Amino acid sequence: MTRIFVLAFALAIGLTAWAASSNTKEVSTSTPVAHSTDPDTMRALGEQRFRTNCGRCHAAPQKFPPRAMSTVLRHMRVRATITDEDMRLVLFYMTQ
Amino acid sequence: MGLHLRSLFTKVGVGRWWRRLLARLICAFLLQFFAPVRLHSQTGDTEKPVPILSGTAGFLTSVTAGQTLLDTQFNPVLLVPLGDRWLVESRGEFEGVFQRAPGGGSFGGPVHKHLDYLQADYIANSYVTITAGRFLTPFGIFNERLYPEWIRALQPDPLILPIATASSDGAMLRGGFPVNARANVNYAAYVSATSIGVDGVESERHVGGRAGVFFPGPRLEIGASWQKTLQDDRKNAFGFHLAWQPRRVPLSVHSEFARANQGSGYWAEGAYRLSQINVWNRAMRRTEIVGRMQQFIGGNISPDTAASLGLPVANTRETDFGVNYFLKDGLKAVGSYGRQFSSAGNFNQWTVGIAYRFLIPLGGGDTP
Repeated sequence: MTRIFVLAFALAIGLTAWAASSNTKEVSTSTPVAHSTDPDTMRALGEQRFRTNCGRCHAAPQKFPPRAMSTVLRHMRVRATITDEDMRLVLFYMTQ
Repeated sequence: MGLHLRSLFTKVGVGRWWRRLLARLICAFLLQFFAPVRLHSQTGDTEKPVPILSGTAGFLTSVTAGQTLLDTQFNPVLLVPLGDRWLVESRGEFEGVFQRAPGGGSFGGPVHKHLDYLQADYIANSYVTITAGRFLTPFGIFNERLYPEWIRALQPDPLILPIATASSDGAMLRGGFPVNARANVNYAAYVSATSIGVDGVESERHVGGRAGVFFPGPRLEIGASWQKTLQDDRKNAFGFHLAWQPRRVPLSVHSEFARANQGSGYWAEGAYRLSQINVWNRAMRRTEIVGRMQQFIGGNISPDTAASLGLPVANTRETDFGVNYFLKDGLKAVGSYGRQFSSAGNFNQWTVGIAYRFLIPLGGGDTP
C-alpha cells in the first residue's frame, strides 16, 4: 500500500512539474478578456473554457434558455469553483 | 496577536523590509477577499436567472455475486436564484433497491429518502462564496462533482467513497481564482455541527478543507483534502485527488486517494470517447469505454461498523470495465463488469441500466 501511495504521489508530482513546464501555444484560459466585445472571440473563448472547466466532469449539454442557463452556471460556479470570468464566457457560449 | 507576530519576527530575525512586505501582502490578500467587487454575472433581463428544477433519474439492474438487484434512483435538484448574489439549492435522493426474497417470489425492498444538500450560497465577490446549511462535504472530487448518475462513468461507487464524504450541516467558504495565466486555485473550508435525531439529515461535528490547483494548459488538476472530526475519537482524514483531460485525445482521467481511521484506499479511472475511430463515426462518437482499478485497506473499525458505513468488511481490490452509450443529450445507456477480490470472497458484478438528466425552467420560458 505504501509503495502504491509513493508511486501515485510521484506520478502526481511528475505530472505537476510537466504541466508547469509545458509551453502551450493555445490561449490560456486565464488570459483576461473582460473587455472583449467581439461575439466570435467571446464564443470561441467560451467554448474553450467550457471544455476546460465543465468538460472535466461531463459532456456539453444542449443549449437551454438563457435565463435557465444563468441559473445553471451560478450553481456550477459554486459547485465547481470556476472563476467569475470563466462563468461569464461559458454563459455567452452556451446562450449565444 | 500582533504582539505574538512581532515577537515571532524578532525571534527569527526577519528584517523590517520583509515585515512591511508581508504586512502589505496580507492586507492585499484580505482586501481582495472582502472588497465589494462588481460581479460580471447576470445583469441583463434576458439573462436574469430563473428557478429551475433539474436532476437525474436512473434505473439500474445489477447482478452482484449472483444476487440480482433492481436499483431505481430519482435525484431532483432545485435551484432558486435570488438577486445577483444569492442561490438556494437543494438535492434530494429517493432510492429503491429491490431484490427477490430468499426462496423466490417477487422483487421487493425499501425506498430510502435522503436530503443530500439544502444550502444558501452568497457570492460575496469573485473569490469567495459563503455557504450555509446542509452541503456536500468537499472531500476529494467524486462526492461533489462526479456523483450524479448522468455524470459518473461507472455506476458502482468507488470503494472509498464513504470516507469523510457524509453531508455536513454548517457553513463553508469556497471559491476559485486565477493565480496567473497558467494556474487557477480552488479552495473550500468548512465547519459542520452534530446533527442527530432527524432521519435523513444527520451529520457529525468536524472541520475540514480542500484545495486544488488547476493547470488549464494541460487540463490537469491536483489537490488535497483534510478533515478532522471534533467528536468521539477526534480523528483526522486526508486525501489527494487528480483529474486530467489531455487535449489531444478524448480521455478523462480521475483518481482519488483517501486515508482515515475507517480505512484507506485509492481508485483510478480512465474514460475514453471513441470519437477518433474512423469507422461507424456516428455511433463511435456516442460511445465511451471506461476502466477503473481500486483498492481498499481496512482500518481500526470492526467489520460490522465498516458495513454500516458502506465500506468493505475486509481488504479489497476491484477492477471494473464499462461501456456508456450517449443516446441523446442527458440520456445514456450504461453497462459494466467488475470483479472484486477480497478475503471475504471473490465475486463478479454486472450492471446495466439507463440514466437521464432533466432540466425544467420554472419561469422565463424563452428559447435559446
